[in-house]
Amino acid sequence: MRCKVARYAPLLLVAAALGAASGCLHPEEESSLSPLPAAAGRVDPGLGPGARPLSFGPGYKGSPSWSPEGDRIAFTMDGYVVDKPPEVDDLRRWTTRDFIAEDAEWVSGKGLTILGTAPGSGPPSGTEEMTKSVYRARAGDGSFDLKKVATGVLAMGSEPARRGGLILAVGGGPYESGLLLTRGSGEVDRVYPGLVEGRVVAFSPSPDGRNLVLAVCPPGDRETSELGVFDLRGGGYRRITRLERDLEILGTPQWTGHGLYFVAGKEAPAGGAAAPYHLYRAAPDPGPPEPAPGVGKDFVASSIRVSPDGERLAVIGRLNPESPANLYVLDLLAERLEAVTNNEDMEIKTGPEDVAWSPGGESVAIIARSIPSTEAEVRAAPVNELLEDFYNLYEIPVEGSGEASR
Amino acid sequence: MREMALWISGAALAFFATAGAFLLLANLATVRSEESLTPDPPSRHSGPDLELNVDEDQLASLEALPAQSLDVTVRNRGDEALSDITLSLNVSSENTSLPESRYYGRKVEKLPAGGTAEVRFEFDLSAPEASGKLAAVPEPSRKILEIRASTPEGVPAIRTAILPL
Repeated sequence: MRCKVARYAPLLLVAAALGAASGCLHPEEESSLSPLPAAAGRVDPGLGPGARPLSFGPGYKGSPSWSPEGDRIAFTMDGYVVDKPPEVDDLRRWTTRDFIAEDAEWVSGKGLTILGTAPGSGPPSGTEEMTKSVYRARAGDGSFDLKKVATGVLAMGSEPARRGGLILAVGGGPYESGLLLTRGSGEVDRVYPGLVEGRVVAFSPSPDGRNLVLAVCPPGDRETSELGVFDLRGGGYRRITRLERDLEILGTPQWTGHGLYFVAGKEAPAGGAAAPYHLYRAAPDPGPPEPAPGVGKDFVASSIRVSPDGERLAVIGRLNPESPANLYVLDLLAERLEAVTNNEDMEIKTGPEDVAWSPGGESVAIIARSIPSTEAEVRAAPVNELLEDFYNLYEIPVEGSGEASR
Repeated sequence: MREMALWISGAALAFFATAGAFLLLANLATVRSEESLTPDPPSRHSGPDLELNVDEDQLASLEALPAQSLDVTVRNRGDEALSDITLSLNVSSENTSLPESRYYGRKVEKLPAGGTAEVRFEFDLSAPEASGKLAAVPEPSRKILEIRASTPEGVPAIRTAILPL
């Protein structure tokens, strides 16, 4: 008997090993070998290993805006408005091609609010100031439903906490502005008491949704030189600071969990150098601003956007006026600036609205292209599949970025 | 002696059984269906037989005016003669909001294996009428020439030229 067991011992050992080996096999692990995306290897390494193109082909793109669920991204293209899922190159157009949109914001997963000018609706004769209109657009099957809901609008923004409303800044008189809340198809839900002396150019909400920070062009001033706060609950405007002569606020000031941040400076000097705009921080109480801590005195800022949690600020900027534009994230609590991209060869677009956080705060959408050649260039691909030759959107993950060299 | 023979045959049997089992398992683990083994289609951009070239010196001399011309060379890289080769030139603007898109077509009836044909396109490269729409784009828009060569059964060869005019 012992002899028989000894005879079959090798078989038993192998069977046991086989059983153990087969128990370690997991067919599901093959999913890690899923095919690479089509654009892999085509993105400039300076944008980072996780950079993902969100659009292709020609067109001057701007003002990216993620849908609340993060499943679509809208942007302007040569003035008209389109959107698409991030992983599929399937553009959906929201306006006619002759539309001139300045901004497009999601009011829900199915609708966009567009600030702009429809064809044939230019400024009224005799007015110097270009006011715009607000349109509500709803997604349709192969068509678009665009409805004008307000005219004479100076600036717009979503109601805080995404309650579905829309706050509009409108001209309240020759040198005054008012704020109102609209809902649905443009019905005025509330006129906020109190007027702003001057023209409201841009605004954004405070983290608690009770206030707005405003960039204002005061009466008699050519520049957007005033920063103020508007109380949405009780109404009323108070000035925080007015910048020195010739200084102007660029883009939309951001109300973060650690103060008000804004970009300001003088117009770009002739010769093509970067405009000397800098990043400032102010308290929400009257008083002078200070240079934003943590960015370095030579840092030139262009576009800023506060993260959904209010703790970080995405900044398109340059470490000094001569260095290339890159995406940085400023940790507002630690006052530490981190370089998210390390680009030297691309032109990252530096318009004040050309940066957008994803709803979860994991990534930032930016717009970039390679430096255009002054000579004819030939590519072996269809025009709609070209990437770096034109301004296109990229999604840049913000985790794991290295500290900026300063 | 008999004991040793049994041990050797047992070990050999175990070896073959194990190898067979591993092969079977490997096959089960990697082959889900025949579909997953279908090779990817060849790149649409390469074109198996056609090669397309444009004269870059001529490209550099183009102007944003009517009556421009460009010579395009198409070569049959395959082993068989090709017929009914369609060539197209699409002129458009980098500004996608402009309704300007002009299409020009040419045909090559026969092209022997290894043979080359030169085709001349004459086209209008003038700027569209000025419109208020241009205000939405704060920089000059480049011209785009997309050239395709294809046979009825083949994939096209494509060249896209970007012209800073």
